Amino acid sequence: MSLLDGVKAAVLLFVAAIAQVSIFSQAHVFGAVPDFLLVSLVALALLRGSVAGAVGGFFAGLLVDTASLGTLGLTSLVLTLAGYWIGRYGETTGRDRAHAPFLSIAVVTVLYELGLLVVHFVLGESAPAAAVVRSLVPAIVLNLILTAPVYALARRLLRPAERAALSAEVQLLG
Amino acid sequence: MAPPSRSARAAVLASSVQRSKPTPYPSKARSALIRRTVVVVLVLVALTLVTISFRSPTAGALHDIQGTGSTALRPFQTAATRVAQPFRDAYDYVHGLANAKAENKKLKEQNAALRASALGAAAQLAKQPDYAKLLHLEQGPRFPNGYRAVNASVISFSGGAFTHSLTIAAGSSSGIRQSSPVLSGSGLVGIVSNVFPDTAIVTLISDPDTFVAARDLRTRVRGVVGTGAGGTLILDHVSKTEVVRQGDAIVTDGTHNARYPDLYPYGIPIGRVTSVGVADTASFLQVQVQPFANLGSLDAVGVLVPTHQRR
Repeated sequence: MSLLDGVKAAVLLFVAAIAQVSIFSQAHVFGAVPDFLLVSLVALALLRGSVAGAVGGFFAGLLVDTASLGTLGLTSLVLTLAGYWIGRYGETTGRDRAHAPFLSIAVVTVLYELGLLVVHFVLGESAPAAAVVRSLVPAIVLNLILTAPVYALARRLLRPAERAALSAEVQLLG
Repeated sequence: MAPPSRSARAAVLASSVQRSKPTPYPSKARSALIRRTVVVVLVLVALTLVTISFRSPTAGALHDIQGTGSTALRPFQTAATRVAQPFRDAYDYVHGLANAKAENKKLKEQNAALRASALGAAAQLAKQPDYAKLLHLEQGPRFPNGYRAVNASVISFSGGAFTHSLTIAAGSSSGIRQSSPVLSGSGLVGIVSNVFPDTAIVTLISDPDTFVAARDLRTRVRGVVGTGAGGTLILDHVSKTEVVRQGDAIVTDGTHNARYPDLYPYGIPIGRVTSVGVADTASFLQVQVQPFANLGSLDAVGVLVPTHQRR
């Protein structure tokens, strides 16, 4: 990942984090909130791999926790793991698959919400499992709606990496 | 004569070829190591931050850093909010229009022209309704004695099902302290749960951990307003022998004993009783309360600050 790519990714995640805290967090649709930041992070992780996904998730989460004055590190923790796993998926089985962004968003939305639920529960904070489960389907739909434009924008900003650069560990045969 | 290619292939397959050892990929192994190291380090740092932040949520170096960071990010949040404001206004306008149509279809058909002009005017007036209400409240008779209001705009809501809080653009530098009551022009909103120099977090009365001593304004029956099943506000701990009726206004109960002052002064409107139920298995009346303040879309709130510092 070049320096220019890093700057572009940072700007993308910064804008996404600010927009998430200031705009999208107020848009409640059927009990769910569209997660512009998560969608942007998934796009970055798919295009730039697991390390970029993990680092991006960590700092984006830190921004969200700072801006919303929440428990510092909580969102970072979940977004780091989300970015890493989606990055690994992009480096391996999801590589060059047109459905990869949509499948990733659907899966990571569920894991992200459940991950936050678990972390809140472990910390002894309010963890309304029923409300989270009820909002899962609307959240997936909202995030899927955001996926196409956000992924297209991210792809325009960060051109897909060369295969060799994307993963040095997995070798395709045949 | 057997095909030469087939016999040759069979010979190759049959022979025990000495395979070369798989080539180790030092660069690949290093890459995997780096990748795993990065994610483990980031997770550990995040866990450390969570631990420190959770153990000392209202004080400490990390709290100060977070406050400074929040202050630095505020201009960006304000800019983003302003950019989104026209879209939000348009959505509110359309949403309000759709609801009004459903409720008043016949009337609206008869008064289409009047409605258009009225809604246009309302849209103009709706730009700063919360500020106008706050100003009215502060100058009105309902405003509690011994307090002044620090008016602040709402800069972000905590989205999702986990928290019922919002962040306001005023903090300790404006005189706001921990546990200061917060109200909108319509009624009680919540309480300040964390204070930073220029920002503060307000935990809403809809939060499951928030309880407010309250009374029925008409019958003077006392109870505790909290969140019931399903997230609705309820007036709890009201004996079945007491009388509470639908439509009664609920206000804060205030302090009864100076040694144990209540966080909320007397008389702040909380909400209106929407239903009263009696169940054989329940110890108390089941009183549902609809809050006066529209907790879902607040643009500005007022924080009550004592005019004289208390010891």
